[in-house]
Amino acid sequence: MDANMAVIGLLALPFIGAPLTYLADRLALRRGDQPRFGQWIALAILLLSLYCLSVFWFSSPLQQGTWVLVGSVALHWDGLSVLLALTTILLGSAVTLFSGSYLAEEKAHDKYFSLLLLMIGSIIGLGASNDLFNLWLWFELMAVSTYLLVAFYPQEKGSLEAGVKYLVQSAVGSVLILLAISITYTYAGTLQLDGIRARFSDLNSALWVAGVLFVIGFGIKAALVPLHTWLPDAHAQAPSGISAMLSGVVIEAGLVAMLRALMALGAAEIHWGILLMGFGAINMLLGNLLALRQHQIKRLLAFSSVAQVGYMLAGIGVGLAYQQPVALAGGMFHLFTHALMKGLAFLAVGALLYALVLSHRQHTPLTLEDVCGAAQRYPLASLTLAIALLGLGGLPPLAGFMSKWQILVGGFSAQTDASVALMILAGLNSVLSLGYYAPIVNRLYRHQPSEAVLRGNPVPNVMILPLLILSLGILVLGFVPSLMNPINDWAALSVLGLGMH
Amino acid sequence: MINGWLLLLPIGIPWLGCLAVWLVGDRRPRLQHTLAVIFSILAGVAGLALIPWSTQRLTLLLSLGGIFDAFRLATDGLSVFLTVVATVIGSLAVIFSVDYMHGEHSLGRYYAFVLFFIGSMSGLVLTTSLLWMFVFWELTALCSYALIAFHNDDPKAVRGGIKALIMTQLGGLGLLFGALWLYTYTGSYDIPQFLGSPNSVPPTVLSWMAFGFLIAAAAKSAQFPFQTWLPDAMEAPTPVSALIHAATMVNAGVYLLARFYPAFEAVPGWRFAVMVVGMLSAFLAALMALVSFDLKRVLAYSTVSQLGFMVYAVGAGGVFASQFHLMSHSVFKALLFLAAGAVIHALGTRDMRQMGGLGPSMPFTHVVFTLGALALAGIPVLNGFWSKELILEVGLGHGNPTWIVSLMILSTGLTAAYTVRMVAMVFYGRGHQDHHEAHDAGTAMKTALIPLAAGTLTTWLLLGPFYASLKLSLPHHKLELNAVWEEAVGKAGVSEWEMTFKVGLEILREPSTYLVLLVVVLGVAAWLGRARLASLIATFRGVEKAAQASFGFEAINEVVVQAVQRAGEALRATQTGYLAWNIFAILLGWLVVLILTMLGRAG
Amino acid sequence: MDYLDGVTILLVVLGLVGIGIYTLMISRSLIKIIIGMQLMVKGVLLAFVLAGRISGNMGLGQSLALTIIVVDTIVAVVALAMAVRVRRRFGTLDPRALTTLRR
Repeated sequence: MDANMAVIGLLALPFIGAPLTYLADRLALRRGDQPRFGQWIALAILLLSLYCLSVFWFSSPLQQGTWVLVGSVALHWDGLSVLLALTTILLGSAVTLFSGSYLAEEKAHDKYFSLLLLMIGSIIGLGASNDLFNLWLWFELMAVSTYLLVAFYPQEKGSLEAGVKYLVQSAVGSVLILLAISITYTYAGTLQLDGIRARFSDLNSALWVAGVLFVIGFGIKAALVPLHTWLPDAHAQAPSGISAMLSGVVIEAGLVAMLRALMALGAAEIHWGILLMGFGAINMLLGNLLALRQHQIKRLLAFSSVAQVGYMLAGIGVGLAYQQPVALAGGMFHLFTHALMKGLAFLAVGALLYALVLSHRQHTPLTLEDVCGAAQRYPLASLTLAIALLGLGGLPPLAGFMSKWQILVGGFSAQTDASVALMILAGLNSVLSLGYYAPIVNRLYRHQPSEAVLRGNPVPNVMILPLLILSLGILVLGFVPSLMNPINDWAALSVLGLGMH
Repeated sequence: MINGWLLLLPIGIPWLGCLAVWLVGDRRPRLQHTLAVIFSILAGVAGLALIPWSTQRLTLLLSLGGIFDAFRLATDGLSVFLTVVATVIGSLAVIFSVDYMHGEHSLGRYYAFVLFFIGSMSGLVLTTSLLWMFVFWELTALCSYALIAFHNDDPKAVRGGIKALIMTQLGGLGLLFGALWLYTYTGSYDIPQFLGSPNSVPPTVLSWMAFGFLIAAAAKSAQFPFQTWLPDAMEAPTPVSALIHAATMVNAGVYLLARFYPAFEAVPGWRFAVMVVGMLSAFLAALMALVSFDLKRVLAYSTVSQLGFMVYAVGAGGVFASQFHLMSHSVFKALLFLAAGAVIHALGTRDMRQMGGLGPSMPFTHVVFTLGALALAGIPVLNGFWSKELILEVGLGHGNPTWIVSLMILSTGLTAAYTVRMVAMVFYGRGHQDHHEAHDAGTAMKTALIPLAAGTLTTWLLLGPFYASLKLSLPHHKLELNAVWEEAVGKAGVSEWEMTFKVGLEILREPSTYLVLLVVVLGVAAWLGRARLASLIATFRGVEKAAQASFGFEAINEVVVQAVQRAGEALRATQTGYLAWNIFAILLGWLVVLILTMLGRAG
Repeated sequence: MDYLDGVTILLVVLGLVGIGIYTLMISRSLIKIIIGMQLMVKGVLLAFVLAGRISGNMGLGQSLALTIIVVDTIVAVVALAMAVRVRRRFGTLDPRALTTLRR
């Protein structure tokens, strides 16, 4: 299998898998069985995709990336695409492994895995598209599949409400993006990202407006404050596996799409960089402050995602504004580690939620009081949750510390007042975030279990396995952070390289 | 070189032990006790095994690449000394825990974190990469937090743990930013290289780094104005207080200042700032110790105060004196804490007003505690005496401000006073309740206490060898003894041990020594004669009140926390839940960004 | 192309999008909100046709517009399905009833 085949496979596999899983589960349901095969088909598809990705990684000429023509659409595989695909597939596999038992109590979950695969496939495609309209198409496909997944519990008011808000706000974003695309197309006469980029050495007013529309349009998905309002609802109400995907890759996919579009308008690169730095600062501060007083754990984690996006924005913004590949690579690294950590956090909370609430066929949210003393009965779920939370809080030697460190190094290396000030703010925010992560860990390790824990059911081992795998990843990357260097650096160069034509 | 891997042992062995104890699980407590003791003793042996390399440099370099540079470990006098302190006192604390923690819940978590801490502390002092120093720095903070909040059901313990975590993290940012500056200008985190050429960093940045490190050190060592977390950290099990909050982790700040002294020495105002921080901590904490009734809090304030002495010594130019006092203090304060642990274990209370008259029922504890207390007070021939004298000698020389050193000498008097008060309240006087059945320390406790008591009597004998090893292995530190002594010991053919006695004799010949002793005696007398001094003491009533309120720092701390929490609560209103408002926010965001970019474009 | 034509079309585009967003904010029925979404997208369609005309590639502009119609239909279907469920579950279509998740 050569590189070309590998990337075509990578793109095609999820879309082949999606109907297969649906059929398998649907048939099982019709026969009155528990649907079982969908999960394993999806997992097999994802592992195959991972294999394709590794083939591509080891056979492709690095730096320039690879062009693949599918029909008349050209796809460009560069560092950013690979990073996004890797993140999505890894987290997706963990979520797939996790979700089978999690959904066991649901009546109809035949659509779950096929929608999940659709979402994963569209994110992989989004990363590789080299054309503004294609970018939007993949983006929209991803959005539609997540609408259905957020509103997955049709009987739950909260789930529906979150779904509606998410849908309407995303639709507004989608319209803004389309407006921006039409403006860009009017002036550039092409939709190719590098073509647009090559066309302008300076931006006129209309293109500036288009750039701002891109920032806001994609920013809704990327949860820039104040466009983040859909996020806490959707992340908290979705099934935990989907929360993990939403927090771990979907908002990041929005960020990547925004980056791609902005780099097409790269003549104003520095301004976009500064704009993103500004959003980074606001996101960090508000995300952390809003998370500080939350009582529902999933909602708290959702707000913390807003803050974590702030770190990525800070790294990416500094990278663009001051041409710092280190900062940009740091932002990319944080994108990856955040997917691992937040994914783990949501899955671990999901395991507890399953044991304490869902397995009793209830749907109440998991509060801080509920998890008191959970470590007594659920040692592994609690331990992995603690690892994820402390990693998110930036405690070494967990992966989150190392990625934040790289962002900070980038910010300091720029040696400007603004970047250093932003990094100091980031450091302070990291400390602030411990103010809500640490108390959860303390609650987990109480001696006196809460009533919910006393009544809880056991967690199936198959749900624990992905938690352990993700924790291992977080620990290993904490001690050997340079493992991810090649991909991060490549992704950073792909972004800056497009800007340096 | 295979020898380099030896350096991983003091880190790796306890970490392996941590894993082992955790895997054994809480159903087999006996095995957990045994494993913890075995691994901690092995770690102690590994630490001691490094002593031959304290003067020869043994290094280990694992390249990581990119901005992560490399994982570097190296030995010198300072790092080996602190590794030995961490591992040996660590193993004694673990042995003590066998009795102290008998029958507790969650032993696995307890031992795992204690062992993890021992390894991290060794790593902190052995590494020569600033990045990894920060990593280990934070790891020790993590262990400290986890162990302070060990009794998670007690809200006070949880609050204390989170407070310690957040305050040390906040201060740690100083170290973090320092490391980032260093990397920005030199492209590496290598500490020795930086110490050799501090001018590779521009002067303004160097002074930012210097003060950043001071903040980090102050937070870690619970110095002014971060001192408030240490007393609250006393909710931890007592062996943990002895190990982490007296003998090892809190010393990391002093270690940091001492380690980077050659680089920051010339930064304008830095030495003065260090001296003032040390002096304020030494003085204010001594006052607070004098009015506190909680046995462990008295010891905690005393730790802050003694660390203040060390910080002051670094600022005054006495790197050796500070490290020597660090050695003495680790030993006698660990002894005091563990002995206090035995008392607390026997009585089940920490309030000294509930104690008293324990001397007859706990003879062994009484003896060792008094020994530690005498060393703390600075009574001759115990190790605390010699090291404290060294610090004050340094303060009197080198053109250091006299008013600061006078306050330091006053603090030694206060130290003597609160020490006597503490011993008197615990072991003498009438028993408050019938504590006659109070049992003396158990076998494991005694096993841990005896070496520490012996150390309190003898570690000062190491003065010569310790000085020699530091002098040989720290090329950038201009280690100074008093010029007269330097002459006395500098003669050819003087062995390291002879040097101890020569310096000792010189100390005994110094007139200032007797001045200090006089102040100590006055301090003791002031406590004993407090009834006669009642009118004088009454005039200090305000000071007492202020000291009990920890001079308002607690209030400041509270205000900041409340303000942040309120801000968080108030901001929650922005999540209205109304779809219309959410859409409006999008529009508003778009407009603001559009205006800003248009302004940016024009500007 | 007549300059005035372009401006007129642009005004219509902005008008449609503006009315759509305004509808989203003030409407008291989810169905009307979905109509608002549709209005916005219709404006965008016009924008694409205009863009195709200005850049001299009418065909591309129109084919993009067609693709958008397809995607938008899918979104509308999903939105309507949700609206039906909201009506069943909440007993109303008023978006102001959808405020159980807040703070």
